[in-house]
Amino acid sequence: MSFEVFRDVVKPIVVGFGITAKRLAHPKVTIQYPEERREQFGRTRWRHVLTRYDSGLERCIGCSLCAGACPARCIYVGAAENTDEARFSPGERYAHRYEINMLRCIFCGFCQEACPTGAIVLRKDFELSNYEREDFIYTKEMLLEPVRD
Amino acid sequence: MAAEAEKKEVQVTINGTKISVPAGELLVESVKRLGLEIPIFCYHPRMQPVGMCRMCLVEVGFEQQDGSVRMMPKPQAGCTLGASEGMVVVTDSEAIHADRRGVLEFLLINHPLDCPICDRGGECPLQNNTMAYGPSTSRYVELKRHLPKAFPLSKYVTLDLERCIQCGRCVRFTEEVSGDADLAFRFRGAEMQPSTFQLTDFESRFSGNVIEICPVGALTSTTYRFRARPWDIEAGEGICSQCSNGCSVWIDRRSGKFVRISGRTNEDVNEEWTCDKGKFGHEYLNSTERATSPMIRKGDSLVPCTWHEAYEAIVAELGRGAAASLVGTRVANEGMWLHHRLFHQTVGSRDVDFRWTRFLPPASERIGSKLGSPAVQGTIAGLEEAKRIVVLGCHLAEDLPIVHLRVRKAWAKHGTDVAVAYHSPTEAERFASLPIRYRKGSEADLLRSLLFVAVERGATVPEAVRTGLDAFSPEAVAERTGLAPSAIRALADRCGEGCAVVASDALLDVEGASGAYQDLAYLCSATGSTLHFFPRGANSMGAEALGLLPETGAKDTWQIVESATSGAFHSLWLVETDLAELPEGSGALENTPFVIVQTTALNETARFASVLLPMAAPPEQDGTWTSCEGRVQRMKASLHPPGEAKPAWRIACDLSILLGGGTPYFGAAEVMEAIANDSPSFAGCVYSSLPEEGAILDLTPMPTAPLAQE
Repeated sequence: MSFEVFRDVVKPIVVGFGITAKRLAHPKVTIQYPEERREQFGRTRWRHVLTRYDSGLERCIGCSLCAGACPARCIYVGAAENTDEARFSPGERYAHRYEINMLRCIFCGFCQEACPTGAIVLRKDFELSNYEREDFIYTKEMLLEPVRD
Repeated sequence: MAAEAEKKEVQVTINGTKISVPAGELLVESVKRLGLEIPIFCYHPRMQPVGMCRMCLVEVGFEQQDGSVRMMPKPQAGCTLGASEGMVVVTDSEAIHADRRGVLEFLLINHPLDCPICDRGGECPLQNNTMAYGPSTSRYVELKRHLPKAFPLSKYVTLDLERCIQCGRCVRFTEEVSGDADLAFRFRGAEMQPSTFQLTDFESRFSGNVIEICPVGALTSTTYRFRARPWDIEAGEGICSQCSNGCSVWIDRRSGKFVRISGRTNEDVNEEWTCDKGKFGHEYLNSTERATSPMIRKGDSLVPCTWHEAYEAIVAELGRGAAASLVGTRVANEGMWLHHRLFHQTVGSRDVDFRWTRFLPPASERIGSKLGSPAVQGTIAGLEEAKRIVVLGCHLAEDLPIVHLRVRKAWAKHGTDVAVAYHSPTEAERFASLPIRYRKGSEADLLRSLLFVAVERGATVPEAVRTGLDAFSPEAVAERTGLAPSAIRALADRCGEGCAVVASDALLDVEGASGAYQDLAYLCSATGSTLHFFPRGANSMGAEALGLLPETGAKDTWQIVESATSGAFHSLWLVETDLAELPEGSGALENTPFVIVQTTALNETARFASVLLPMAAPPEQDGTWTSCEGRVQRMKASLHPPGEAKPAWRIACDLSILLGGGTPYFGAAEVMEAIANDSPSFAGCVYSSLPEEGAILDLTPMPTAPLAQE
């Protein structure tokens, strides 16, 4: 074995493995996704949720301010009037249609900022992949928080 | 005197800039000349100022002899103060800003901040002024005033009393502009609320306007309620096609779907008002009963087919026998003209008509060919300049609501003397100095008698008209008309130089119409009055100007219906016509083997169709419309036609190509160019040169049968 072979082949391998061997003692950074999940930052903005009051009534009043604030114009709100028989939200008005096109959404959070009742919030669910383009249009039923017991 | 004052100019200083303005001009208007703005709520340029909201406060002073300026100790309301010589106005001082903040704070004390659910939110003067001039936060923590929300004031107007800032615009509108004085303030102070007397329904032909002039969301539209927010809306420049008045409107759409009509300013036609028929009458655009696909009859049922199949069937059948066509008036000029040309030149039938009045003057009997002057000799805006107005034989507020507003404005603003003659009570009677109610059906006698009086007073009429006139002295017709001879004489005396006579083609529906409308025309020409014989159908004037009328010898509407009932026609082509609604209509439809129904709606007539062609509604196509005063105005396509519907001009164009002999047009603009080449009166109407406010057609007929020869 010539000196050149030792210098150019063996030595780098030994040095390289040496670094790896040193790192084995460090704490691990990678996690086993999807079995393991990392804690998200407090202000992470991902999937939208339409929240409810404790009473179970929807917070959304269908005012369309989120749609007005949206720079990607990906929100559609259709409003209707509450009646005493069918009451969805406090007050006169509620959203009978609420749709977000997730393909266009840039997750800027302006909708959350514009919302006068805190109805639309961006939560931490980031797994938004899907197979069909149409499935990226999130309807009110998909966005609305389930009633808590 | 008012005219003199307008002429006099005075020097005022506004924020340090000297300008010259007409004496007495309100300061809110004067500052606009410098591009400045005084915030307002209660002031409206078309109504009397009242100074109720105090938003327009300005500092005012006067130049003294020694050159110094002496300011008034307190701010003044800019909407009630007229400009005078040496006036010094400050709109931008620290004190004024503090005043505005204070006024807004007071207004907001009782205003609920439910802007997110308020239909006015986003286009609300209170919001805008608060953003621009108001305090940034509220100091008011006490309980706000609570009143009923969403109180239905009428079928069209919803009142939210909590939001009202008591500016009185709506109350003043009903008192000053529409004249029905339906709204008034009840109670005083914080409790003050606009409402109808006795809490009855707000019944007005113009109630929709109060929604638009309300500076807050107190009065909102019931039909538009919660349909959209202003930032969702795109507006298209439209013309209302509900009657022949041709009001300029905005056609507001959301995601391509019609949501509401708003008034668009056109000083020559509707100023900024709309009538309820126009504002709330466009819901049909969203109807589920619209014709969306061509259909063809297979056995007993109509089945959807392609346009090509429908055209094939028409091409095959049209040549098999006599054909006639009836056209409704809700078709644009372009469609009218191409349809007429298709029928005349390609199909070779002259039996085409668009008129639906009971009496249809034949070609030689029309006012134009009789008198040598058109049936509409003045404009709507021109009514304001008339010395006297006579509304004769029509319910003007019903037939042409916006013309009625103009007549009322002439009375209210210029003191025009108005006389009204009709068989039932009408709105115009409220301000008329001579309201006359004749017996229903005696229009012909009344008009003959009026002509008699005119002749008695020395007016000259052709000999043929004079024949038998002596039997119609006011005394002789008193019994039949139910009028005192003095009333008839008084009415006849109103006619003359400077008098505008306003009538509608409702006069052609009455008994003895064949004489009545001619007597009216002769009465006007003999006394020198300006005749305004307005048609009621949306584009009637256009149809007439484009010659969509049977020539001498051809069949008119009722002759076509009659002949069709006896089976004289092989095919009958109905354009936007609900013939089945008429009592004689179903007979005609049943006895015609091939019925082409070109329609926007799946109405009763559509059931009789052999071929059904879906047509785009007026706001769904580019086109021009001719209003009752002969004004050609452009309507741009604001909406998409439903399904496969096509504009009338395109249907006519397609078929004339298939039938041979047609030139293809690629847009409505090209059709208008062809119209302009064909008839010189439309020369100024090509799209590139048509002014925004429209162009008045010169409808003076060719001098074929001069008066003297008869």
